[in-house]
Amino acid sequence: MAEKTPVQLFHLEDKRKRYRRSDFYLRIGVLGLLFLIPFLFPSYKTVDLAMKIVIYAVLVASFDIMLGYTGILSFGHGMFFGIGAYSVAFLIGKYGDPSYFNLMLGMAIALLAAAALAVIISFLSLRVKAIFFAMITLAIAELAIVLATKLSGFTGGEDGISLSMPGIFAVSFSAGEFLGIEITGRVFTYYLILLSCLGLFIVMLRFTHSPLGRVLQAIRDNEQRAEALGYKTFIFQGISITFGCVMAALVGGLYAMWVGYVNPESCLGVFEIMLAVLLMCIIGGMGTLYGGIVGAAFYLITETFLPDLQHLARDFFPNALFLHNVLERWSLVLGVLFILIVIFFPKGVIGSVRDYLARGSR
Amino acid sequence: MSETVLKVEGVHTFIGQHHILQGISFEVGADAVTVLIGRNGAGKSTAIKTVMGLLPPSEGRILFRGKEIQRRKPYEIARMGIGFVPEDMGVFSGLTVEENMRVAMLIEDEATYQRLDRTLEMFADLRKFWKAKAGNLSGGQKQMLAIARAIVNDTSLLLIDEPSKGLAPIIVESLIEVINRIKDHSVVILVEQNFSMASSVGDNFYILDDGIVVHSGIMAELVHDEELKSNYLGISKVGG
Repeated sequence: MAEKTPVQLFHLEDKRKRYRRSDFYLRIGVLGLLFLIPFLFPSYKTVDLAMKIVIYAVLVASFDIMLGYTGILSFGHGMFFGIGAYSVAFLIGKYGDPSYFNLMLGMAIALLAAAALAVIISFLSLRVKAIFFAMITLAIAELAIVLATKLSGFTGGEDGISLSMPGIFAVSFSAGEFLGIEITGRVFTYYLILLSCLGLFIVMLRFTHSPLGRVLQAIRDNEQRAEALGYKTFIFQGISITFGCVMAALVGGLYAMWVGYVNPESCLGVFEIMLAVLLMCIIGGMGTLYGGIVGAAFYLITETFLPDLQHLARDFFPNALFLHNVLERWSLVLGVLFILIVIFFPKGVIGSVRDYLARGSR
Repeated sequence: MSETVLKVEGVHTFIGQHHILQGISFEVGADAVTVLIGRNGAGKSTAIKTVMGLLPPSEGRILFRGKEIQRRKPYEIARMGIGFVPEDMGVFSGLTVEENMRVAMLIEDEATYQRLDRTLEMFADLRKFWKAKAGNLSGGQKQMLAIARAIVNDTSLLLIDEPSKGLAPIIVESLIEVINRIKDHSVVILVEQNFSMASSVGDNFYILDDGIVVHSGIMAELVHDEELKSNYLGISKVGG
């Protein structure tokens, strides 16, 4: 047998290591926990929190493709999330009956509308760089909110649109009990969205690990150098934006299915969505994809449970007035936690941990 | 001179308001390493950036194998077979050595993988740090990576901008060895201030001063021309 070349040896080593790495088992563990949540913690609040973490993790990952992998800051990402949510709400809420076909059609429309709009925005806006691009996308996102609010006959305005899921995903559906838990349409919807999000996340992982993903990272590091290596960077940036926006629209459709209601503030809001997504991305670590999971989990768990801390403080420390005052302003505590994370994990949690492990292995 | 690979004719280039290249002309043949030398600010780096399309010329013609390229974009020029190693090395710091090499491979075919294997045999450190982030490499290793990236494709002309800048003498020696090996496969244009390196690898030279070519010839003759070296390169013979 011929002697292996250096490149063949590297590939063999990669394959050997793939299933021996501890993070592989960590990923399996997190996935297993998410699959068991409806049975381990069946309360509405916990299942809702787990589902929102999954949805936001995928949304943050789609934003990370643009910001972390390509170096493009867009404030219009939330708008694409809203396009997906409204597409589904139009088809199974305002303009159609809840049916499987309409649900699929709503997702297909979300995909096509997001792709078309992202291509147009890329071609019109990518001529300008950095903060100017961010400002243009911010203006377009604000315009989308104004349109969704003012065109109330078409979009439901500020009142929004309520929607119901079809067949086995309807809230009223029940398939009996399993392990002492009633298997309702809500449980089926949970698994539908979990599997869909898993699929979207795997697609994004494949995308970032493909030759195309490597070129995007090269453009992020040094655009001029990437061009001098033979890449038409404008086209690659356009592909990255379009792909990220399509992913955001699809996850927006899934969000609408879960919450059963869309309105401009919750689905299009620049500050409500974009600020949270940006924070989650920075907390988790830009350019990691998995950072989206950590960032979304940290942000949503603290946002959900920090307000409860003031009740605990009143019960356990009834005379600690300063503590009560601080915990009443829980968003202040969230801000402090955010600052601490930025100080102690300058590359986000995943980025800093990876750096630490890389240093340890040298 | 053998077949002309690159011909630069009366090229003018501005950077902002500054008129850097003021009608520069030179030719590069197929079987030699050509060195552009001159003092700081003479326009050497601007000249090869202009050839690469990174700076648009306002006037003049640049012909690569007979085809005009002065209006082409850098990615088009790269795909025609011109490789570029910039002064700042331009490695992608956030990518590993492997990823840097694979980004540089415009086509992942058998021939490119053979070139990659050959390149890795030439640069042992790149094999050693294959999975390391390029941003963590030393200056010399980054320079090796930058050169390796440029030669992994079927490059017929390689532009190298001041490879010895900021490197230890021992690293410069190994660079000289590498460039001497590369010239068996590619035509090389080297921009260099380090005269010792320039004379070790160069066959022909062009001296630039204030954006024009003031002298050209065979490197072996320049090595002994103390007056020219003193006037344009600021090199004086010790004790002379």
